[in-house]
Amino acid sequence: MSDNLARVLRPTWENIPGPAAAEPTRHIEIVSPRSQQKARPKIVYALSAVTGVAVIVIAQLLLSVGISQSAYEVSRLQASQVELGRTAESVTEDLVRVSSPQSLAANAEALGMVTNSNPLFLRLSDGAVRGAPASAIGSQAGTASLVPNALLAGVPLITELPQNTGQGASLGGSASSQAAEPVAAASVPTVVPEAVPDALPTPTTR
Amino acid sequence: MVMLLLFVTVFVVRLVDIQVVRAETLSADSLGNRSVEQPVYGSRGDIVDSNGVVLAGTVMRYNITLSPRNAKEFERTTDTGDVTVTLAQAVAEVAALTGQTGDEILTIISDALAADKDSDYAVVVRAVDVSVFRAIDALDIPWMYAEKNPSRVYPDGAVAGNLVGFVSSGGEAQAGIELGQDSCLASTNGTETYEKGADGVRLPQSTVTTKTAKDGGDVVTTIDSDLNWFVQQALAKQAIATGAAWGNVVVQEVKTGKLVAVADYPSVDPNNVNGTANPDDRGSRAFTASFEPGSTFKALTTASVLDAGAATPLSRVVAPYRYLPPNGANVNDSSGHADLNLTLTGVMIESSNTGMSKFGELISDQQRYDYMTKFGVGSTTESGFLAEDSGILHPYEDWDNQTKYATMFGQGLTTTAIQVSSMYQTLANNGVRMPVQLIAGCRHADGTMTDVPEAVGTPVVSATAARDTADILEMVYQKAWLAKTWEIPGYRVAAKTGTAQMPDGQGGYTKGYLVSVSGFAPADDPQYVVSVSLADPVKLNSSAASAPIFQEVMSQVLKKYRAVPSGATAPALPGTW
Repeated sequence: MSDNLARVLRPTWENIPGPAAAEPTRHIEIVSPRSQQKARPKIVYALSAVTGVAVIVIAQLLLSVGISQSAYEVSRLQASQVELGRTAESVTEDLVRVSSPQSLAANAEALGMVTNSNPLFLRLSDGAVRGAPASAIGSQAGTASLVPNALLAGVPLITELPQNTGQGASLGGSASSQAAEPVAAASVPTVVPEAVPDALPTPTTR
Repeated sequence: MVMLLLFVTVFVVRLVDIQVVRAETLSADSLGNRSVEQPVYGSRGDIVDSNGVVLAGTVMRYNITLSPRNAKEFERTTDTGDVTVTLAQAVAEVAALTGQTGDEILTIISDALAADKDSDYAVVVRAVDVSVFRAIDALDIPWMYAEKNPSRVYPDGAVAGNLVGFVSSGGEAQAGIELGQDSCLASTNGTETYEKGADGVRLPQSTVTTKTAKDGGDVVTTIDSDLNWFVQQALAKQAIATGAAWGNVVVQEVKTGKLVAVADYPSVDPNNVNGTANPDDRGSRAFTASFEPGSTFKALTTASVLDAGAATPLSRVVAPYRYLPPNGANVNDSSGHADLNLTLTGVMIESSNTGMSKFGELISDQQRYDYMTKFGVGSTTESGFLAEDSGILHPYEDWDNQTKYATMFGQGLTTTAIQVSSMYQTLANNGVRMPVQLIAGCRHADGTMTDVPEAVGTPVVSATAARDTADILEMVYQKAWLAKTWEIPGYRVAAKTGTAQMPDGQGGYTKGYLVSVSGFAPADDPQYVVSVSLADPVKLNSSAASAPIFQEVMSQVLKKYRAVPSGATAPALPGTW
């Protein structure tokens, strides 16, 4: 049935008109590509499907490897973050501790600073001076800290820090020379600071 | 065939048993082998001062623990190869870091093993900081572990320590604001679980928060920590110099009623509570200890008489040394003197009890009682401080004849330092009493503030009466015997001293005195009240002991808050006639 060429060679078998025989000749050209098409797609589809599956499996494996690798990375970074957080907390604690009033006051006094509780105000509009001018009489609140802070135990004053030895020595030198000066000029008793034996001599403030 | 059926049935039953009946238990078991549950700490809120300076904060500390049953020698990998570390060496290394001795740690191990030979947990040291924790961690001792222990730290130490209070080593609030405001500060710990692999690494995406941690809110106080430090320092210096048993200083803002400094001596350092031996010294006596105020109370009587219209600052009386009113009471002045012709102003300058009695009796007991209650005497303030004392003010119907007069000059009733300060705040604020504020509110993580106290004032006396009383107090500041001691150059100040006998707790009086000074400045535009109380200064038993503190603190307050002297002249009210 499929072989049409045989029918052409035996025209008497059937009274098939010429134009009818001409029609099947077109079929020859169409059928052979169809058989070829039927055979080829089976392999391509199979290959592409298998390849696809393989790619997916490999991709997933790689992804999974990547994720678990990242888990180690994340774990490491998290550990590092915790460590850095601890460091930050620790240095913040140190900072807050040395910012406490006790620490600031002790360091200021160690550097020879004194407070003056007699504020003066200069009014700009007419240049009037408000308040009663007076020189500082030395530390108002006293040198020794009477407000304890257990956190400051063992924290050295700025003048006691080893790297500041040179500066501290020069400060002490200038302060002692200043202390000697008012003694010489004893005619002005109001500005002579009282000698504090256990602290740096305080400079005169006008 | 039957055998086969039986065989299949057995397997089916077993399958159903595992997959359906015991499914939950088994999967929980398997998860339990892989999953780790750990607490997530919510952080307890801070206590901050009005400028945001942290007075109490939370930091992470670490408890070093060990497994006693596993505590033995181990191999340590070093650059030069494996080294065997003996138990004695290991504990010696740890002890050097924790400040203990090796024997102490060995005792901990042996004690734990004596109690339970399979003991797997014993604490070596509690709450070490990060550097110690890291150093111990670096020792790499396999049977030693660290656990988190969120702890409380007070960066400013004893500054406002009596107010802030403290927590126990277990983190329980025990005193002061820590306890009083615990509902704001407290945090809730959460938990999270995660699954870990054989090497201890957390499996990705396995973290499940089973309970969310909630941070506590911050308590914002009205205190200024720098000023509080200065005040505590000035108070402690004078208290030590005069041998006082205890003392306190209150600084209050006139216009708002906010307490900007409350200093107590002795001060407690919340970082080292055991350093303060006497438990009574660990609280704030400014709030919790009431005393007979003595002569500082005369300002209240003066304002009452003036407000009732019964006298003016220049009304005249003759003040004898001893005054015997018709009702049988017996009033005398602190030292003998001839009869004095005094105005009301003069009575205050001389602090004459007899003169004050003659003015006080111009109005009825009920009127005086009503004024006292309106000034806040006899009831706790609005500060919300824990265990605040209300002081004692008996109803006027219960006053005996002596008490009727004694209450005019601050005996026969008790007040706390805070109440005295509030009294002077009222006088300074044109007769309007503002609620006493210590807590500005509870600040939550999202920035909202709750529990903000009301700040609506109540008129107590008329503005004129308050102004006149302020003028009288300014004359006291200028003319009283301590005028040189408490002088602040350039400023106008109103102040009054008090010297009151201290009750012995058994109905009588001790030989000690509670000496005080209360006042405000600048007198022509009052900004701040300073109230100083010093109990039993044995070396200087008069208000001369408290006056230098007043001078020093008030100077600092005026300087700190840039109170500019007006330069106006003070009124001149004659004290005698």
